[in-house]
Amino acid sequence: MAINDWWRGLLADLPFIRRLTDQRHLSVGEVFACFQRLLAANNRAMELLADLGEKLSGDYIFDRRYLEASAASLTQAVADSILALEQLTFSPFPELKQVHARLALQLNDLLAGGERLAGPLVIQLREAGLAQVAVVGGKCAHLAELICRGFAPEVPGGFVITTRAFHELIDANGLRPKLAELEGRLADPGSPLAQITTLGEELARRLGAAAPPEGLLALIEEAIGREMPTGGRLAVRSSALEEDLDFSFAGQFSTVLNVPAGPAAVFAAYLKVAASLFAAPALGYRRLVFPGEGRLSIAAGCQPMIDSRASGLVFTEDAAGASDERMVIVGAWGQGEAVVEGAVATDSFQVGKGEPPVIMARQVPVKPTARYPDPEGGLSERGLEPELSGAACLNDEQIRALARLARRVERVFRRPQDIEWALDAAGRFFILQARPLFVPETAGDRRAVAEAVAGLKPLLTGGRVASLGVGAGPVRRVLAPEDLAAFPEGAVLVARRDSALFSSVLGKVAAIVTEIGTPLSHMATICRELRVPCLVNVPGLLKTVADGEEITVDAESGFIYQGRIRELLALKVSEGMDLNASAEFRLLRRLLRAASQLNLVDPLLGEFRVEDCQSYHDILRFTHETAVQTLVDMGRDEGRLLGGHLARRLALPIPTGILVIDIGGGLTPEAPDDQVPPEAVASTPFAAILRGMLCPGVWHRDPMPVGMRDLMHSLFNPTHHDPVGRQYAGHNIAIIGAHYVNLCFRLGYHFNLIDAHCDQVAQNNHLYFRFLGGVTEVLKRSRRAAMIGAILRALEFNVKIRGDLVTARLSHLPVAEMERVLDLLGRLVGFTRQLDVRMDSDQMAEAYAQAFLNGDYDIVNR
Amino acid sequence: MTPAAARLLIIDDEPIIGKRLKQAFGKLGLEAASFTSPLDALRAMAEQPFDLVITDLKMEGLDGLETLRRVRALNRRAKVIIITGYPDPETAQAASREGAFAFLVKPFRLEELKAEVSRALAELSQA
Repeated sequence: MAINDWWRGLLADLPFIRRLTDQRHLSVGEVFACFQRLLAANNRAMELLADLGEKLSGDYIFDRRYLEASAASLTQAVADSILALEQLTFSPFPELKQVHARLALQLNDLLAGGERLAGPLVIQLREAGLAQVAVVGGKCAHLAELICRGFAPEVPGGFVITTRAFHELIDANGLRPKLAELEGRLADPGSPLAQITTLGEELARRLGAAAPPEGLLALIEEAIGREMPTGGRLAVRSSALEEDLDFSFAGQFSTVLNVPAGPAAVFAAYLKVAASLFAAPALGYRRLVFPGEGRLSIAAGCQPMIDSRASGLVFTEDAAGASDERMVIVGAWGQGEAVVEGAVATDSFQVGKGEPPVIMARQVPVKPTARYPDPEGGLSERGLEPELSGAACLNDEQIRALARLARRVERVFRRPQDIEWALDAAGRFFILQARPLFVPETAGDRRAVAEAVAGLKPLLTGGRVASLGVGAGPVRRVLAPEDLAAFPEGAVLVARRDSALFSSVLGKVAAIVTEIGTPLSHMATICRELRVPCLVNVPGLLKTVADGEEITVDAESGFIYQGRIRELLALKVSEGMDLNASAEFRLLRRLLRAASQLNLVDPLLGEFRVEDCQSYHDILRFTHETAVQTLVDMGRDEGRLLGGHLARRLALPIPTGILVIDIGGGLTPEAPDDQVPPEAVASTPFAAILRGMLCPGVWHRDPMPVGMRDLMHSLFNPTHHDPVGRQYAGHNIAIIGAHYVNLCFRLGYHFNLIDAHCDQVAQNNHLYFRFLGGVTEVLKRSRRAAMIGAILRALEFNVKIRGDLVTARLSHLPVAEMERVLDLLGRLVGFTRQLDVRMDSDQMAEAYAQAFLNGDYDIVNR
Repeated sequence: MTPAAARLLIIDDEPIIGKRLKQAFGKLGLEAASFTSPLDALRAMAEQPFDLVITDLKMEGLDGLETLRRVRALNRRAKVIIITGYPDPETAQAASREGAFAFLVKPFRLEELKAEVSRALAELSQA
């Protein structure tokens, strides 16, 4: 059938669709059974991810066994999902299986307490994101994450000598037995510290004179050539696995500055960094924060030196605990090493966290000396001219710019940060390091909080907690994807429904609140991973809060208060930090990072490719979308539908000519074999569509007056090259199940498809809508498409329009909301049936869209 | 006996669990001590009586069931709550025979443990 072939051609343009041409077909019932299996597997996996994420809240007591069992079940559920997809589509997905196998291995490695010893010896910094943390260490992973999140201008590039290189270095120099002995001692809480430090000293000494493992020098040379083609000097900094992610390890490991850009010099600097892993203070600190854990390894980041005019640190919160409303900037002239060491007098500024940043206090002591790179390598101290030594190292404008930069970094990692910065001669700021800032547990007594909010009346109650925490800020309503474009930093995102698209602003939001939603959603999962407080299902939300209004979201109790409730915000700061001290907790975070990070966000953005799947979450998203597409394809293929199945005519008071195919539970048992009345439809989604179609006034019986021009167009353009102009032959078919509908309309000159699954588990539900064609010239058809697009956007669909083709989808809505939307789609089908004839101007399209949304269906008759 | 005077002993080889439980129950007005080693915990118990003991089941040195026996030998009245990530029916039955007050399977919400502790305190105050 030519039209089907053409459809396939069109679909093949969409990259995430596997075509079904030239393959054996499953029966409709078998396909549907596969789809159900896939939904069940995906739902199981999403529940496991949500369950694991919930444990991050710190409200639970759990142990390693729980993590092992959950990871195993998760791996199995994702495998089941892939298998169901292969059966459903009758095509193999070897790449997807490879991703799955790699992730399964990674989770097992994490659970085994080790790191992946596979991987490159040297890796570019920008590729060393959090997914690579096991080989690049925490500091580099954080810098790479910043590069990925839009900080490329501020984070100098460079490369990482990985932990794999460290292990090769150990093996190549015969140090493995010594390292194993040290690790064994560390893992034994009863082992005396003196023995540990002696072993450490020996390892450090022998590493200092170690020979490079095979191939490392060549790789370093290659990386230098790539990253620093014009030469220059390098900074070689430690990046240990634990560093930055859980504990600061601040100042525990070595940094070597002003290193000549040659492989031998970089390797020598690297050895110093590697040896610092075994320094006595570092081993002592390790025993303090990770009692009973032995594994040791270290990576090193190598970046171009910044020729610093000034440098220093920002604490995005006052670490003394005085206030979480201001940050502290310290700095000095020249290189920041002295500032970090606390070795010199420094300027200090206290800056408010609001916008614009207000400088609240400043101390500018005399700074007689500063450190600068020495031509011989390393740094040397120089005296400063009086006009420099007495001046502040940053002017007010620079202080504000730095405060804004620091605030952005804090929002990316969702924790107070300790940021090392540098300002070059051209006035550009650089971020050399960003690590979590640990604020002491002073404020935040729950009883005090309960008392503080006791007198306050919540603005809203009844929300479901999707991700624990407290956040405050001005309300920003997001009612369409476009609203995300200029999302202000620090605002509370308020929306009708949750959306995975929100992940684009998670670095900026203070909290997320939605009127509808489920804690199992993709968005909720991401919120937990990134510690974004999130409430869903808040009744009356959009009616109650206005844009710009300041609110505090208590995503612990499910309440929303007017204004900023400082006591609640203090609680946010005090809780949760020491949870990182638990080995299980850290393991959980690492497992979730590997399993639940979502990289595939929007199927309509055209980036749903197997090669983009990097986590279990991505795989689940991919299998679900691909399965839905397969069902959509199936619904268009009449040959398959009429082949073995009984299609029954539907008896409606409007002339639709719909045939229904029941694949299980779609019709009541009493339904007659022919002329099925609408009451006999038991399919939840189809019944909802029919309600809409039968809504009084929606279905216009009189044909629209077709103008001569439109008629000529339809008569003279019925070519294969312009199939849209042809009349769609064939039936209108509804494949229905108890929770499923695939409805294909070939009404007059257009083609309309609705595919929906709708059951009690919001996570299972999807709604797919497609509209194409018309009798008139393409301009009018496009106007109708624009009108339909406008209506669907108002219903918060994710919409894509290409010419006169409208594609829209929604997913993960609770059943009641699904039914409401399907009812409206039923009305839309009737309302827009022949409206292209009327689309004389763009204004007309807007007027019709508005009329529909206002329930004014009668506009068609005026 | 009033709840405010009740003394709670927490034994778990994971230090963070002891620390967290100590903090949580401290806020409820209990006098709480935590140990990562069951033997140290029993020594402390021999010196000062505890009314309530929360113990992990799988630990180095001494397992939870043996800990339970020794606690009960020291103080028949003490209520013992067992928390474990390795539940099996035999152990649960054995714990019950040995007089354990409650058996909680990890992961559990802190609130569930608090409820068991309140129940135990209520029984202690009636006794």
